[in-house]
Amino acid sequence: MNRILFITSNSEISKKFSEIFSSKSLFDYTTSSDKTMILDMVNVFPPDIIITDAISKDVDYKEILRKIKIINDNIIIILYSKDEIQRELAKYANAIITPSMSDSLINSIIQMNLKTKNSLEKLSNTNRDLAESLYRLNTLYNTSSQFAGTLDKEKLLNYMIEGMDKALSFSLTILLSFCSENEPVLILNSLYEISDELMSAIKLRTILNYKSLFDGKELPYELDEKNLKIVKLVKHPANRFTFNLFQFDNMFTPINLGDDFFGCVEIFKDVSFSTEDATCFQTIARQVTLPLKSAILYQELIETNKKLEKLERMKSEFISIVSHELRTPLTSIKNSLDILSGGRCGEITENAAKFFDMAKRNVQGLSRIINDLLDLSKIEAGKMTFNFKTTNIKPVIEYVKSSLSGVAKSANLNLVVNIDENLPDITADSQRLEQVLTNLVSNAIKFTPSGKNIYINAALTNSENIKQNEVFAEDISKLSGDYILVSVKDEGIGIDSKDLLRAFDKFAQIENSLSRKVGGTGLGLPIAKQLLEAHKGTIWCESELDKGSTFYFAVPIIKTPEFAAL
Amino acid sequence: MKKILIVDDEQDIVESLKFVLESADYCCYCAYNGEDGLKAAKELVPDLIILDVMMPKINGYKISRLLKYDNKYKNIPILMITARSQAEDKLIGEETGADEYITKPFDLEEVVKIVDKYLK
Repeated sequence: MNRILFITSNSEISKKFSEIFSSKSLFDYTTSSDKTMILDMVNVFPPDIIITDAISKDVDYKEILRKIKIINDNIIIILYSKDEIQRELAKYANAIITPSMSDSLINSIIQMNLKTKNSLEKLSNTNRDLAESLYRLNTLYNTSSQFAGTLDKEKLLNYMIEGMDKALSFSLTILLSFCSENEPVLILNSLYEISDELMSAIKLRTILNYKSLFDGKELPYELDEKNLKIVKLVKHPANRFTFNLFQFDNMFTPINLGDDFFGCVEIFKDVSFSTEDATCFQTIARQVTLPLKSAILYQELIETNKKLEKLERMKSEFISIVSHELRTPLTSIKNSLDILSGGRCGEITENAAKFFDMAKRNVQGLSRIINDLLDLSKIEAGKMTFNFKTTNIKPVIEYVKSSLSGVAKSANLNLVVNIDENLPDITADSQRLEQVLTNLVSNAIKFTPSGKNIYINAALTNSENIKQNEVFAEDISKLSGDYILVSVKDEGIGIDSKDLLRAFDKFAQIENSLSRKVGGTGLGLPIAKQLLEAHKGTIWCESELDKGSTFYFAVPIIKTPEFAAL
Repeated sequence: MKKILIVDDEQDIVESLKFVLESADYCCYCAYNGEDGLKAAKELVPDLIILDVMMPKINGYKISRLLKYDNKYKNIPILMITARSQAEDKLIGEETGADEYITKPFDLEEVVKIVDKYLK
């Protein structure tokens, strides 16, 4: 029902209009000419339309109309006059009607104006809603960018409360969280001071809320009043909540991501929440879950890392201590054996010499294992020092050949060396390359039946010309540019292709040497792999069971200054 | 007869070194910790010292440094025995002044050869 306020002192005109309106029964109307009363009416119970003849000696209509427009710009003002209207008055009028107009014309003018007003009002309501939504969206956006910017659990929860305050301007929030070391914390954000009675009511309410979420099922975290820590933030501590919480409208939601439960939040406001408020509340509470999960995972990651670092340190120390502790008794054993077998304490029989040999061989093997372990732990800890220099592969190969030819000869094996002429220099630690090659050739000697050949080749090659290898495709694909390629080919027992990768894996090798299931090649290959990686090269192997194996390693041709820059 | 001082907290190792060096006609004196070793070195002024690195109280590097900075003893050759442990690696960076390094487990004949090189 539209309201109409009719202002006139002329009872005849008022009668005329009351007839027009009452026939439609659409309008209320009031007749009055008292200025204060008019303004009060407009203020308290704003009409849709004001019709006035604007004639009265006692009243300044200009002033009244101006004030009405200030109070409510949406009210339609229609002037009714048979004379020419004063200009000052006309500017406040939306329409002018005259007594000469028929009743139906007057009616349709009023109807038209009413329609216009209704549309305008709708538009302005929509505008207001839009502005409100925009503000909310903006708040949500700000809150979510704040969420994205931190991995701190407490900060995330603070941002959530801040966001809710901006979007919903609550009176009180109760946040129960289990984030910090899973201890329950109750965070209260309140407009006013909370009395002790209210506090205990809140505690009880929260515990009940929490338990009701799981409805008899097992609670993710234990919770009772005693172990509940309370954090209270009061905006206006001078004032105090003196009323029952039930007088407030409230919303409640758990904060969880799937089965991960972080807590729950309840908010109170002195006026009712709308559906949009509820959506907004849910959205913020949902938005915080993923960052919370990341924050918790991040925290766990940091702690795990710390533990790992500590373990790594302990492992290094352990290896260092063990190798030292093993070396000393080993030295004494070796010394005693040397003295005894040297015949310094009496004649050695042929049988005794055989067993002295056996003991000495095993002492040597043991000391090699200790050296390997130490090397590996040094490389891992980044403590292995390299003496990189411009050098050539030729003397390295020749040295290894001469130092192992005796062993090869006694096993009735032939070392065939083929080094291409004029190989370019490389940047390398020749002692380390000797270590790698010695290991490869000793292995070849160990696994090749007597009477066969072992071929050592060295050539210049480009990464594009290196033959692809299924098992080591990943390592080989990392090579690019020119390399010195060294290969050690034997005619031995070969390695099963499924064991090839394991041969270079330190853990597999440690396992092997401990269990002695397979005749393990020791830690030599894993060490060789690490040493070559330090040279920006790589090592790999081709093998066929019962036919033999070929081990390759590639060292890049890089000048020393460029190498230092890598 | 040339005097050799052997300083090591491992009695077994001292024993075996003493045995082979005495068979090679050297006169051996032994100390079983760094403190005694340093004292013996100053009293005896031996012709050569064999020093273990890791020892309680005063380690081999410290003894070597103290002797090498003293004009009275700086010409005594020092053979350092190391076990290549990481704790030792940390010490290696220090200036020790040792003349030779032997790594455990070492070859006794090798030690005799080195000693011969300095004393014969």
